[in-house]
Amino acid sequence: MGRPSNSSSSSIDSSSHPSLSSASSLCKRDLSTDLRLGLSISTSQPQHSSNSRDQPADWPPIKPLLRSTLAENGNHRQHQATFFVKVYMEGVPIGRKLDLFAHDSYEGLIRTLGCMFRTTVLCSDFAQASSSNSHVLTYEDKEGDWMMVGDVPWEMFLTTVKRLKITRADKC
Amino acid sequence: MMYFPEEVLEHVFDFLSSHRDRNAASLVCKSWFKVERWSRHKVFIGNCYAITPERLIKRFPKVRSLSLKGKPHFADFNLVPHEWGGFVLPWIEAMAKSYPGLEELRLKRMVVSDESLELLSRAFPNFKALVLVSCEGFTTDGLASIAANCRFLRELDLQENDVDDHRGHWLCRFPDSCTSLVSLNFACLKGEVNLGALERLVARCPNLRSLRLNRSVPAEILCKILVKAPQLMDLGAGSCILVPRSDSFTKLTSAFLNCASVKSLSGFWEVTPRCLPAVYPICSKLTSLNLSYAPAIQGNDLIKLIRHCQKLQRLWVLDCIGDKGLAVVASTCKELQELRVFPSDPYVGGNAGVTEEGLVSVSIGCPKLHSLLYFCQQMTNAALTTVAKNCPRFTRFRLCILDPKRPDHMTSQPLDEGFGAIVQSCKDLRRLSLSGLLTDQVFLYIGMYAERLEMLSIAFAGDSDKGMLYVLNGCKNLRKLEIRDCPFGDDALLTDVGKYETMRSLWMSSCDVTIRGCKVLAEKMPRLNVEIINDKDLIEETPDDNQKVEKMYVYRTLDGPRKDAPEFVWTM
Repeated sequence: MGRPSNSSSSSIDSSSHPSLSSASSLCKRDLSTDLRLGLSISTSQPQHSSNSRDQPADWPPIKPLLRSTLAENGNHRQHQATFFVKVYMEGVPIGRKLDLFAHDSYEGLIRTLGCMFRTTVLCSDFAQASSSNSHVLTYEDKEGDWMMVGDVPWEMFLTTVKRLKITRADKC
Repeated sequence: MMYFPEEVLEHVFDFLSSHRDRNAASLVCKSWFKVERWSRHKVFIGNCYAITPERLIKRFPKVRSLSLKGKPHFADFNLVPHEWGGFVLPWIEAMAKSYPGLEELRLKRMVVSDESLELLSRAFPNFKALVLVSCEGFTTDGLASIAANCRFLRELDLQENDVDDHRGHWLCRFPDSCTSLVSLNFACLKGEVNLGALERLVARCPNLRSLRLNRSVPAEILCKILVKAPQLMDLGAGSCILVPRSDSFTKLTSAFLNCASVKSLSGFWEVTPRCLPAVYPICSKLTSLNLSYAPAIQGNDLIKLIRHCQKLQRLWVLDCIGDKGLAVVASTCKELQELRVFPSDPYVGGNAGVTEEGLVSVSIGCPKLHSLLYFCQQMTNAALTTVAKNCPRFTRFRLCILDPKRPDHMTSQPLDEGFGAIVQSCKDLRRLSLSGLLTDQVFLYIGMYAERLEMLSIAFAGDSDKGMLYVLNGCKNLRKLEIRDCPFGDDALLTDVGKYETMRSLWMSSCDVTIRGCKVLAEKMPRLNVEIINDKDLIEETPDDNQKVEKMYVYRTLDGPRKDAPEFVWTM
């Protein structure tokens, strides 16, 4: 079939459905709308809610499935995979470790390394004529070869990198 | 008048696919009425209480496909108590006796019990398609009956239902002889499914085009499924937690590379955002992308993904996409027709998601945009006016400003002029939802300009009865009107009572309508059901007629007050 669901208005398109407990309003009729929403005054009686902010269960108008998905997402941290690699700077015996997954791109990586090692780090995007006080970033790939960082797309780099090394620019 | 043999008429009517056309044809003369009713195979009933099953069967003896809607739309937002009604069992029982050839049943907002599903699975030997949208009342046991007994099942599509998951291996109940599945969607189920049974089922259904998995199906299984079913056109991923440089990731990427036909993508209930590049191979062909249930995918990852999707026609996202992301949508997705932006932080004054800027960018960059649902923190009249000018083709325009009575944030004026511009410019507008600070003026505009409007949703708007009257007087094609928290009372309700017979339904909650007003309406219009839905905990024995009604639901019906109303629902 492959037809997208939720098409024209005359067919049954997707909608939400009530799964939370009944939204019985405990407010008396003479309270204003603002109170019923629990927006401004603490004496209001908010409707059943699943969180500490006393959000009414009928506003904003989103479906229960979305509401519960968002609530769950807020309640526990997302499990993120990490990818720590060793980083050595030439001439410094003690290395560091860096989570490559914490970065989106080469720029972020260079910036972090620059802070970590207090130097200007270059990679192939920015490689200029060598200068005595800058360094170049290299990496060891799956095949054991040492390559300059920056030539391949970031995602591809992540799949082949094993460790990083910051070498003096005049050696490249 | 030329006389055609009935067979010829019937053949001609076969070409009329829309219900409205067939309804119109049936009114021409007795002969056409007769031929039409005997040859009608598909019926759509927008309100299950508008007629009884017996009346349906009497008029249309040969129905093979029925679509039914139950609860009013605001039930989606917890405004209707669960036991209000909308039971499908009486329909299935009646059809079991009279429609042995029933093939399809599509239900929305109805209460479906396991008993109904069991009966459905046994009573109709040719049953092919079951679509349940926003329904409740059943468990996975009911699904097991469908799987086990419907020998020719092609479609089992569960959209956003509340299902009691007994983890009873319902998927295993599909017999080995079942090879006919074309569409299987169980994304809304919360429990685990038997993964081996799932893989085997997919492998033996060569016509499977649409598969939407639930959260319990991990990425490794998705990969195996894609390898077995590269012909899939619509995919809902379950869980996609992977370590990016791992073998699993590489395998998933190449599985996606082999899926040349996937046009629609959704799901990702859990996901490691850095694995999204696995999906890039199919992005350039995608016409539909729904990431509204994937709050783990934040702005930047979302933007990177969207840059690959130049052919998108439909996009549903969370507002963490931001105005920046919407600018990327505007520059990348030139074919975009439908956009929905949902709130990722539904609290008033929460994290700013998108503003009027994002909407304006999309209106500039996407000339084909005609359907919008947009949750935002703020809006301006100027932005709405610009959008109206850029996109005169809107058919559906739903704007929800999270803070209910928020004015134009630049001028502090009500948003009357902005919405006025929308209705004036968009001559084909069929559905409209309003929000923000609004006076009676906006309703004057709607009554004046929104000639094709069929459905209007109003919340926290207006100053007086005049607002509602402008709408009732002006919108000739209005079918559904739903109002909450507005100062509209008995005068507005009772000025033109005949209007409600031209509409499917009217909902008013937390307005100024009184019990007396409801009684008067019911007395004047016997072919309307005027229901007062009380708070279950607060029913008074003898209510005062002057008391305001918390929730009122009015709908036209041929068969009088319904017999299954619970005690907290009073039909006047």
